[in-house]
Amino acid sequence: MVSRSTLKLVALGSTALLGTASLIWHTHEKKGRGHVLASKSGAMIDAACTLNRGSAMLALSVLLDSGMEHYRGEFKNRAMYTPLVLSTCALLASGHGVQDQKPSAHRLRDPIYLCTALSGVVGTGFHLYNLTKRPGSFSWTNLFYSAPLGAPAALVLSGVLGFYSERVRDAAHSPVPRVLGLPADKAVALMAAAGLLGTAAEAGLLHFRGSFQNPAMYLPVTAPPLAAGLLAATAMAGPEYPRLRWFSRLWLRFTTLMGLAGAGFHAFGIARNHNGWRNWRQNLLVGPPLPAPPSFTGLSLAGLAAHTLMKKSDHWCDSGAADDR
Amino acid sequence: MTGKRYPGYDVQSKRQTSSWNEPTRRAIDERLALPREPRFFNNLEWEILNAACARILPQPEDRAPVPLAAMVDAKVFSRQGDGYRDVRLPPLPQAWRCGLAAMDAEAQRRHHRSFVLLTADQQDALLHAMQRGELKDPTWGDMPAAVFFSHRLVNDITHAYYSQPAAWNDIGFGGPASPRGYVRLGENSRDPWEAMEAKPGLERKVSEVNRRVR
Amino acid sequence: MPMREHSDDTPVDFAIVGTGAGGAPLAFKLAKAGFSVVAFDAGAWWRPVEEFASDEAHQQKLFWTDERLCDGNNPLKLGSNNSGQAIGGSTVHFAMVSLRFRPEWFKARTLLGYGADWPIDWREMWRYYREVEQALRIAGPVRYPWGPKRPRYPYRQHEVNASGLALARACDALGVAWAPAPLATLSAPGEHAPPCVYRGFCVAGCATNAKQSALTTWIPRAIEAGAQFRDLAMVGRIETGYDGRVSGVHYHREGAWRFQRARNVVVAGYAIETPRLLLNSANSRYPEGLANSSGLVGKNLMVHTNQAVWGTMKDEIRWYKGPPSLAVCEHWNYTDQDKDFFGGYAFMSQGPLPAAWAATQTGNHGLWGQALVDEMEKYNHQVGLKIVGETMARESNRVTLADEHDRHGLPIARVTWSMDDNDRCLVDHAIRFMTDGLEAIDASGIWSESDNTAHLAGTARMGDNPLTSVINADCRSWDIPNLWICDGSVLPTIGGVNPSLTIQAIACRTADRIVALAKRGELA
Repeated sequence: MVSRSTLKLVALGSTALLGTASLIWHTHEKKGRGHVLASKSGAMIDAACTLNRGSAMLALSVLLDSGMEHYRGEFKNRAMYTPLVLSTCALLASGHGVQDQKPSAHRLRDPIYLCTALSGVVGTGFHLYNLTKRPGSFSWTNLFYSAPLGAPAALVLSGVLGFYSERVRDAAHSPVPRVLGLPADKAVALMAAAGLLGTAAEAGLLHFRGSFQNPAMYLPVTAPPLAAGLLAATAMAGPEYPRLRWFSRLWLRFTTLMGLAGAGFHAFGIARNHNGWRNWRQNLLVGPPLPAPPSFTGLSLAGLAAHTLMKKSDHWCDSGAADDR
Repeated sequence: MTGKRYPGYDVQSKRQTSSWNEPTRRAIDERLALPREPRFFNNLEWEILNAACARILPQPEDRAPVPLAAMVDAKVFSRQGDGYRDVRLPPLPQAWRCGLAAMDAEAQRRHHRSFVLLTADQQDALLHAMQRGELKDPTWGDMPAAVFFSHRLVNDITHAYYSQPAAWNDIGFGGPASPRGYVRLGENSRDPWEAMEAKPGLERKVSEVNRRVR
Repeated sequence: MPMREHSDDTPVDFAIVGTGAGGAPLAFKLAKAGFSVVAFDAGAWWRPVEEFASDEAHQQKLFWTDERLCDGNNPLKLGSNNSGQAIGGSTVHFAMVSLRFRPEWFKARTLLGYGADWPIDWREMWRYYREVEQALRIAGPVRYPWGPKRPRYPYRQHEVNASGLALARACDALGVAWAPAPLATLSAPGEHAPPCVYRGFCVAGCATNAKQSALTTWIPRAIEAGAQFRDLAMVGRIETGYDGRVSGVHYHREGAWRFQRARNVVVAGYAIETPRLLLNSANSRYPEGLANSSGLVGKNLMVHTNQAVWGTMKDEIRWYKGPPSLAVCEHWNYTDQDKDFFGGYAFMSQGPLPAAWAATQTGNHGLWGQALVDEMEKYNHQVGLKIVGETMARESNRVTLADEHDRHGLPIARVTWSMDDNDRCLVDHAIRFMTDGLEAIDASGIWSESDNTAHLAGTARMGDNPLTSVINADCRSWDIPNLWICDGSVLPTIGGVNPSLTIQAIACRTADRIVALAKRGELA
């Protein structure tokens, strides 16, 4: 059994570790010593591939999470197979997209992403129905234990991230890259920020259900909202605030790593249930969902893609403005 | 119609899974290894008890019967009381001795034969009368027949039956559950290690599923 | 951490008889405050994870199986119903429902016109409820529909199983509120225990330690604080000295009678063994038993009426999954309208294990033979609503000594209890209400119990007047300043809720009071 003071120590230690790792990663890239995820075809394609990675991360999370949860729900409703099918498609599409350097939207990937996002919306409707039909409707008990309201949103985000990656590719050669009317960098930034906030809320609800019994459970309700806030501020503020951008990128890296660490924490949480992993047939299902935390990773990557787009937009502004004069 | 709601289901198929722990295996083994011969009751009492068990808890033909009389005998032999006694009853061993003797006396009074030799219907009728408090043979002494019926006869026999895995199988009870408990707590939801209920006509299919329950 | 050993011959500050909801918190807090404490229990010291089986019959080892006699118009069922015998007492087998008394009940006579007033203010008791809820990490709902606003429970509510959802739907149909029951079992990992696995054997003993019984909470902490616990130690007699004060306890352990000297004795054996011990300790100075100048030791025995209404659903309910009572309705505890009786009742969803369910079918339902077998097959489709109903205190309901003796040669207890008209009115009201509820959710084969009780209380009641009570608000007996009583016996009224939280709150308060008295030099 683990004492509360040990848990506090682990939480603090993990936070420090994540912070250090984020700084190291940050410094590495700044010094141009090999952008981990760089591409050769320019910033726009780079951003598009990052968005594909984000979409893939989310799709994988949804595939495994909805697989487990819908299995727990015995696939009572045939529609419960849909997120498994579509997240697989999104995953495959993103896998394809990551190695695709062409500056144009793909014929197949586009509709796959659209369907994925749409099915997430429909899924939210299903989950809403599942919740409200129980006694108590919008009660805490139902928010805790019926179909999680925020879960299908991960599928929506996966589809939207993928959709954005296609739009960014399309806009790769435009003078002013725009996605759905908004400048590309702002659009992606705001969407990622919204995604981070929503996912933090979902994690917050379930960690509240777990009574925040492990102090580390406060991480996903503090870091992602901060990252979201900084990202949105950066997007709206413009290029005159380099310090803000620096902080925003740092927090996004922190949140990226935090998502992966979260899976580790969830494995620890499963181990803390009765008989731990030996009772996996029960604890894998009732314990904290292993595949859920990496959705933060996917969304933070999208946020970092937004930063790439912002840099590109700055360069264009600088050069364009000069040309105009 | 007994035992067909959950065809093919046996809680003991989960003995080596995480639904059973060591103390459970030991406890059930001990129960199943109970000696089948009486240690407390004499021959006549034993016969009457067996006859009563058959009426109080009729068992399905398609499996070996649970040794109810032996379990009751063991309880009385060990003086394993309930931790309290209605004052109208004498202590456990005397209550049983008296009750069985009185049942036989009532049978003699009504049918001039031992309880053991009555037909099933006659035995049931006598038991119903006992339940309603209509039996007043002096053999009962101060013990009201109705109280013996509910507190000892039916209580001890049925408690014995529903402490047996065979009974749990009949009613589709999940059985021992530690360290592994249950995941699906909602309506019409079963975990893979629980019994599946057979709707009419689907006994074969469900039996297949239940045989694989682990 | 090894347990501290005290010598029999050196007087300890406190000898506590009984280690359940009354004795265990007291042992912990007194030891923490620096007193030397030895606690005795007639029962065994179980290690749940290693020794508990998932089997009702085997787990009878948790219960008081020595004889007691029951009479009166409605002889009680004891044993596994309400009488735990173990280190941890009845909390080892209890169903973990942890409800607070309604504030008005502490002034039942003055405000509601029945029973007796407690000598403790409700606000003080509610503060101690919080202390106990925090200590036990009670898992309760975020919003509790009844009573004054209460602080958030330390852990969140459990999932409500199908059986509990049936209560929820019934309450929705009847237009009354319901709530997930606050339970003393973890809904998330704790420092020393994993969360509940919903195995459903709660009342046969929790084998995972998720249940926050005295055995898994107060007692380990008490040992850490320096208390000693002696299991399989039956206290048979409390000794008094030439000065009329208690001087120690005679107890039987490891084949011999022994004597532990003590400066104070706390009797915490629950509502049957406590008066039995006090009466058995009669001597020439106290011929009527100890602390009995009022004549009330053993009298005013109260139970909860525990009748249920049962039905069968088309859906599979499988009520054996999870704690037996995951949902509760306290509506009739908090309203005084539309009642033709005094007192209140709560009702809860159910999940009896097979042997217990068979006992209900043969007992209250009177079934046997093929009819029983056929009915039992519906096991996985059953639902039930069961009350915890307040009964009135009457001196004729009492615990006395019988002429029979136990294996130690001590007179056993005779427990006399009869319902009165008010009790019957309450039960009738409840059965009508719950029947309506089950009808509203389309249950079939609805039937109700006529005869059932649970819990015990009242046989050494607390009060502000030595003529009408046995102890004062500090649980100190009026007659003997170093004799204390701290368990369910002390409740002047039993309320319409399970007593465990209230008993533990009283114990926590008593410990604080003892510390305060000691500071003022008013301890013996």
